This record gives sequence, C-alpha cells and structure tokens, in this order.
Amino acid sequence: MNRYLYDGTAEGLLSAVARILSEEADPDQVTLAERENTFFEEGIYLATDTAAAEEFFSRLQQQAAEAVYTFYYFTMTEREGMETSMLRYLALAMQHGNKVNGYLTHTAVKEIVTVSRKAGRELHRMKGLLRFEKLRDGAYLAKMEPDNNIIHPLALHFSKRLRAEDWFIYDVRRRTAARWHRGTLSLGAIEQFTAPQMSEEEQAVQELWKTFFGTIAIPERRNPRLQKSNMPMKYWKYLTEKQGK
Amino acid sequence: METLAKLQILSGAARYDASCASSGCRREGNPYSTGNTSQSGICHSWSDDGRCISLLKILLSNDCIYDCAYCVNRTSNPVERASFEAREVVELTMEFYRRNYIEGLFLSSAVMKSPDQTMERMVSVVEMLRTEERFGGYIHLKIIPGSSPELVRRAGFYADRISVNIELPSQESLKRLAPQKEKHSILEPMTLIGRQIGENLVERRSSRKAPKFAPAGQSTQMIVGASPESDFQILRLSQGLYRKMNLKRVYYSAFVPVNQDNRLPVLAAPPLLREHRLYQADWLLRFYGFTAEEILSDDMPNLDESFDPKTAWALRHPEFYPVEINRADYATLLRVPGIGVTSARRIIAARRFSVITPEGLKKIGVVMKRAKYFITCSGRPFEKQGRSALLLRNRFLLGDGSGAQFGESPKQLVLPGLFI
Ligand code: SF4
Repeated sequence: MNRYLYDGTAEGLLSAVARILSEEADPDQVTLAERENTFFEEGIYLATDTAAAEEFFSRLQQQAAEAVYTFYYFTMTEREGMETSMLRYLALAMQHGNKVNGYLTHTAVKEIVTVSRKAGRELHRMKGLLRFEKLRDGAYLAKMEPDNNIIHPLALHFSKRLRAEDWFIYDVRRRTAARWHRGTLSLGAIEQFTAPQMSEEEQAVQELWKTFFGTIAIPERRNPRLQKSNMPMKYWKYLTEKQGK
Repeated sequence: METLAKLQILSGAARYDASCASSGCRREGNPYSTGNTSQSGICHSWSDDGRCISLLKILLSNDCIYDCAYCVNRTSNPVERASFEAREVVELTMEFYRRNYIEGLFLSSAVMKSPDQTMERMVSVVEMLRTEERFGGYIHLKIIPGSSPELVRRAGFYADRISVNIELPSQESLKRLAPQKEKHSILEPMTLIGRQIGENLVERRSSRKAPKFAPAGQSTQMIVGASPESDFQILRLSQGLYRKMNLKRVYYSAFVPVNQDNRLPVLAAPPLLREHRLYQADWLLRFYGFTAEEILSDDMPNLDESFDPKTAWALRHPEFYPVEINRADYATLLRVPGIGVTSARRIIAARRFSVITPEGLKKIGVVMKRAKYFITCSGRPFEKQGRSALLLRNRFLLGDGSGAQFGESPKQLVLPGLFI
C-alpha cells in the first residue's frame, strides 16, 4: 500500500491524482496526504506538474462537470487531511460521470460532498449577509470573515449584481480583497488595511435600515432561537442591523 | 413627515403580510444597471421573529378608506397615518439594494382615495425603478382589488410577481369582515393575470424579445383563523387556485388579533400551529402528489394537531406499507414519513450504484426515527411491521420522543370556531 505526498496546493492535488490514477494498478489501495517536510516523513513525493493538472482538469470537466464544482467548493473549505477521500471521489467521478454525486452511500463520496456543500451553503448565505457601506469617494466597501475562502465566487456574484457601482470586498481574516472598478474585477492581497472615511449620508441610510429591521418583526412572534439558527451569531459582526444594540 | 418616521409606520403596517418570497425567476443585469435576480432566492437577514427578510416590504400608504374588521389600518382605527411619495420609495429601494440589504421591493398599500388612484401611484414607483434607475432587482407588487385592468397589465410588465390577496377563504366571510371588498373585485384581476401570464408565455416562445409579464408568477394570501372555515375548505380552495388559476404560491397567515371587534374570534394566541400544518399540507399538494381529498374529508375537516399531515395519512393507510426502499418508485417513496423530496431523489440516484443498505439510508439523510416503521430494505423490515395504528400513534407521541414538536406548548392555542 503506497503512501503519496503532494505540496498542498489545489494544482498539486490534481496532478497527484492524475498521476496515481494513470500509474497505480489499484488506486483504492493507496493514500494521499500533504507533505509536511519533516525529516522522517514516509511516502513518495509527487512534484506538481501543471500541465498534467490542467489536462486532468479538462478531462474531468468533460466526464463529470458537477464533480468540478464539488472540487472547486472543496478547495474553498481549506480542509486538510481529506486528500485520500478526494482521490477516491475523483476516481469514481472519472468512472461514473456526473452521477457520482448521487453515490452518497459511498463513504468517500459522502464525505467530500458534505464538506463541499458546506462551502456552497456559506457562499449562498454570504450573498445575502454581506453589507456594503458607502465611502466618501462614492465607492462601496464590504468586510467579512467567512469560514471558507469564498471571496472569488462571491465577487463574481456581485459583479453581475452591482455593475454600475464601484466596490471592494475585504476578507479580514485572510487579508484578501476583491475590487470592482469601472466594470473589471481584480483580486489581491491587502498588506495593511486602513479604514476609509464613510460618505455623509451613510449613517442616515443605516438608520433607515435598522428602523426597517426593527419594525418588520412581528412582536407576538418573537423567536430569537430561530433567528440565530438561520443567521448564526458569527456573522453578526459586520451586519449593519446588528450594530449598536 | 420625515422618511424615517414614514418608514416606521409603513413597514410596521406591512409586517403581517406573510409572503416574502423572492425566488422563481432569473434576470441578468445589463451592463449599466444595478441589480439582477437569482433563481433560488436570497435571504438577506432574519428578523427577531426568525423570518427571512429578503425584500423591502412596505405599504405605500396606510391611510385607508376601507374598514376590514381584521386590519390595523382600517379607517375606524385611531392609528397614525402616513403615505410615501413615489420618489421616496424609489430612493429607499435603491439605497438599500446598493448596500445589499435587500433583494428588491415588495410594495403593497391601503386604499387611499380609490383603488385606481392607489394603484396608479404604485405602478409609477415600479415604472421609475425600472426605467429611470434601470433597476434589475426583484419586485413584487400587490394589486389593489378593484383596480382597472389597464393598471393591472402595466403592473405585470414591470413586476416579477404580482398578487391579489384572497384575504378570506369564503365569500360569506369576506362579506362579513371586509364588506367593501367584493369577491369579483378579487377574482377578476386574478383571472386576468392568469390569462395574461399564459398568453405571455406563448408570445415569448415565438419571440424571445417579447417583454415578460410577471415572470415569477402570481401568488395570493389568506388569513387563517379570523373566520370559521375548516382546513378542508381552505385546502380545497388552494387546490383549485393551483389547478385552475395556475398560481405559484398560496400563503397562509395566522390571524393576529389587532382590533376589538365582535365579528372576530377571541384567540389566546395567533394560530401558528394551524398555519404551520396548512403549509405542510400545501407542500403535499404541490410537491408530493397528494390531493386535498386525500388529506382531509367532510368527516375529518381539520388537520391533526399532533401529526404532520403526511404522517397522519400514513397512520390511516397501513395497507400502503411497508415500502421497499430498493424497488419503490419516486411517488411511492414520497409517501413514507421521514423521506422528503431530497431523500427520495437521493435514494433513486444511489440505487444506480448499488443496493441500499440500512447504513446507506442513514448516509442519505433519511429520518430513520420516523421512516423505520414504514419501510423494508431488501425485504428486511426495521421494526415489527403491521403494528396497529393506535400503537404507532402513541409511540410517535410519547414512545421514542419523535412525536410532533412545535414550539414549547402547542396546546395553549385556542382554535377558531369559538365565536362570541
Ligand atoms: S383595504 Fe382593508 S385590509 Fe387593506 S388596508 Fe384597508 S382596511 Fe386594511
């Protein structure tokens, strides 16, 4: 039973999977993990081969487009220690195509699909919970600290929605930002973040929203538990309507 | 009056409207505009009552000339009155939308001077949003009963969804509690909208450029518990609306007593459990292939408080079970308590790979606590089958604690029919 190692990048993972699937007689018998670079680490290191990763990716896209999505969401979760499951999952995807996501009775499929779904769910949630504030220069800024690394697909969503405005999305924990400026989207790291000045009307608009938020609830039906289960408190930090209460 | 003060009055007045759905329609934004809509709908927040906020839900005005018994805004109530200018609503919508507070606008209104005068102003709000602001977000517009067909038509070409409230489940109740609204002033616009949506679909099939008419369809709402109709009457009405008028959704709104009025029942609390059960039964109509007559009958006109309607049906039909997980078709799987639309689909998908084992069922997400009494897995039962319905009832209620759970004490409800 062989143990393989790769460098921890998404590309490295794909190229390692490609290699194992083409060379191993029985891929079900091998394991795959991220290299930790300790002196005594055991296993065969597979160096990242960009061309092989790309080639595998495009084959996967033809074979099982849905598995590509699952993989994409999986990388957003930044989870470690699930590479072997991913290997099994991708092997099954190559074999069965899109149907693979229905094979929930298989342990590896179930694991991968469940984890990716979590990222998918958070992405969907943030599409609603992200809050922009208007800056002095007329652009908008939104801050967030999601569990998953979702800034890219999230920014794509807003690039279709808020096309006429200029805006930034800033992932406070990962120090990454997306910027939409005059119709083009760019992503990058932020070394140092200095809080910019708000526009003059910002406070007034926030007051309007807080008022609406307060009055739209039916007092006879107060249900803080339900509210928290739908909107976990970890997201409240940047929610306009939950400030200053 | 300041916008803030108006907003307070006019969102407070809108909160009893149950419908807050923004899904069912996709619109791409165009290059220089703000806004699109998404197929699955997005919640932007959850208010203190735990309900999803996705639309700026407000009344244009609460200054009503009508006097419906169940309504806070009726003309005989001494409440503070306010009306928005069309411009104010446009500004609010745009400012909120740009900050991602909302998916769009849900505009309703009391009857100001006349139905047409009110509808006219509502239509001018959406007209401004769509043409001047090039707003591409979601718009749900309420149609005021009695407004002219021309205005209804204009509304439909700007809004994603339009709706006329049925309000009460029968004509007699309407007459008694909302005397100024007539059945035909509600049904006529509904029929018109239904026809227009149908024609529009045909038009768009031949020309993709044809403007869309209410692409997210038509919905309606009725108040539950303010009048004596049974659940059976209500469900049959809904069934008819889905089948004949092609409605997308019927919303049920538990009656919240806001007025002292001897035409209204006295309730200790809003009938939330009843509302909940009606929504469950409504799902059975729309997604589970049930008919209203299967769920209820003249002898049993109201939904069981202790069980969801599907479990109640299963308990009355022991002959239907057990269902074999590895062979049953989709419609049959759906009749098993504990198996919903998602799990039924997953079972069918997983069967393509291998025979499903009991462990596999758990992985798929079937609620075994419920389902185990009604299924076999490759011929093997999970529990002794053929238990008497009475035994099962008790077991669900007390036995393994998997009985109905809703809120803290469902029994504090006083259900309608208790008129004084
Ligand atoms: S028409 Fe009736 S239900 Fe509507 S606002 Fe006026 S009083 Fe209330």
